[in-house]
Amino acid sequence: MSSTRGLLREAFAQAGVTGRLHAVDIDSGVEVDFGADQPVVTASVHKLCLLVTLHQRAAAGALDLTEQVECPADLRTPGPTGLSAMLDPVRMSLRDIAFLMMAVSDNTAADLLLARVGLDAVNLTTAALGLDRTHATHTFGELLATMKEDAGPGGAQALTDPHVIARLRALDPARGNRSTPRDMTRLLAAVWRDEACAPQHGPALRRLLGLQVWPHRMASGFPFDDVHVAGKTGSLPTLRNEVGVVEYPDGGRYAVAVFTRAASTAAILPAADAVIGTASRIAVDALRAEAGRAARGGAD
Amino acid sequence: MDLILHLRCFVAVAEESHFGRAAARLGTAQPPLSQRIQRLERELGVRLFERNSRQVTITKGGTLLLDEARELLARAEALMATSRRIRDGDAGLLRAALPPDIAGETVAEILAEFRRRHADVELELHELSTSEQLARFASHDLDVGLIHHPCDVTGLGLGPVLRRELGVLLPRDAPAAARDEVPLSALADHDLILFPRANAPALHDDLLTTCARNGYTPPAIRHGQGPSFIRGLIRSAGSVAFRPRESRSVDGTVDAPVDDPEIVWRPLAGAPLALRSSVAWPQGRSDAAVTAFADATTHAMWKTAAVTTDLPSRPVHLRPAAEYYL
Repeated sequence: MSSTRGLLREAFAQAGVTGRLHAVDIDSGVEVDFGADQPVVTASVHKLCLLVTLHQRAAAGALDLTEQVECPADLRTPGPTGLSAMLDPVRMSLRDIAFLMMAVSDNTAADLLLARVGLDAVNLTTAALGLDRTHATHTFGELLATMKEDAGPGGAQALTDPHVIARLRALDPARGNRSTPRDMTRLLAAVWRDEACAPQHGPALRRLLGLQVWPHRMASGFPFDDVHVAGKTGSLPTLRNEVGVVEYPDGGRYAVAVFTRAASTAAILPAADAVIGTASRIAVDALRAEAGRAARGGAD
Repeated sequence: MDLILHLRCFVAVAEESHFGRAAARLGTAQPPLSQRIQRLERELGVRLFERNSRQVTITKGGTLLLDEARELLARAEALMATSRRIRDGDAGLLRAALPPDIAGETVAEILAEFRRRHADVELELHELSTSEQLARFASHDLDVGLIHHPCDVTGLGLGPVLRRELGVLLPRDAPAAARDEVPLSALADHDLILFPRANAPALHDDLLTTCARNGYTPPAIRHGQGPSFIRGLIRSAGSVAFRPRESRSVDGTVDAPVDDPEIVWRPLAGAPLALRSSVAWPQGRSDAAVTAFADATTHAMWKTAAVTTDLPSRPVHLRPAAEYYL
């Protein structure tokens, strides 16, 4: 698959990003590896680990997903979506909070669930699945607090200053919530094979990943109505990530994890978002070509 | 007690929050690692971690010491790097780089200034684009260089950001040349000559995006960077190129950036475009020679290249898909 690696290198360079990718055919295990074992900052991608943990706790009888939770107006984690952006008190079930966390990456929703299950449980979940390189060290509120502290009084404007970008603890995989592309495709494959959690929870997990609203990253690489893309994004200054599963009508299903870091500090960088789709497509096309060769008995 | 070794253990356990994982990362076994942490705690008189059967968490005191421990490790690494250079016999060889667009007077000033500050070091100076410099930092083939922002600054130490406003070189007979200051939109009919995108992709894209935002979408982009090639294209093909106002001589007067009677340089109205550069080096690998080069370059740029400090940027509006908020 050396030409696949060449295409990926070219795509990432064109978009002005450093990219790491792992893609795997969930059923055959054939893979594409482009820096798949490099440590990466997960950002909101870690919400997937939290979602799996929540369902494991429910399967163990430790909590009820329909349990109602109060979210007062004054105790919210900053964020531009969902409960984070709402102004008035809210009361909703754990599973609907999980929906907001996955569909619009709601930071308050994620921290409400973290408060319920605990950071340790999330790390136990990932460790039990053999994700040795995956670790959560802080809540989303704590992550944003370090960013605010490191950015100083300049606010969002300061995020275009190279010195600020160089000192953000939030961008250092050694210091925060982290994983590798390979760990993340392993987690996705486990979710799709009903190995991450009790099987009766599988459909709920996959449904929520399929309800994510952002179309600009992985999904943009698969503009086909009959191809289903389910995923979770993660973003921080200069970082754009998405991990997800792409399913074709012929039954082919592929777990893909893409982590990028842009050279440009611009907050809005459509090419860097889109290359996640482009790279995912290159990898999935390669995996499908490989499956085709295997089906034809390796004749070519 | 080997303080550096013990601090390395402390940082590893703090980052992994787990003795087993930290031991694996350090390539050691868990019992000696635990003993080292206990010894360090005794030596410092500070409890660094709370342990229970399942996990280990850093204490408040540990958190307070963590940043200083990291700093000390970085300094120790720099010391070891310098000693390696001395041991390997090329003591005092500094591998440095400047980008191709730097003016001759600035290069001369950097060399003279560096010599004044650090005479006993041999300087191996390369002409390298930002992308090439970043690749060589990663492969440990470069000690220090002048890079253009924006670029991926992961793992780099940076000097001050130096801003050079860009003006435009255009044919003397172009209508826009009659103005004292040229708005970008007045360049609409001219092709643009720009450095090859691979040199600094983010800067390349940034310049074109800002041109478009200000009403200039060039009919064609011609890639080139040699001064005579650029001059040829301006004279014969009516193209334009961006170039900083440069060559501020010692008495403060500004020299003409081009000595070709058929080409003029004009500032851009509203100063929408700028080159932002800074000296960069791999974090934790700075030593006296690197510092001398960084200072000499910054000084020379101020002296010869019409530099200003970086201005506050335009407002930044984060959109919901950014997922974060400040």
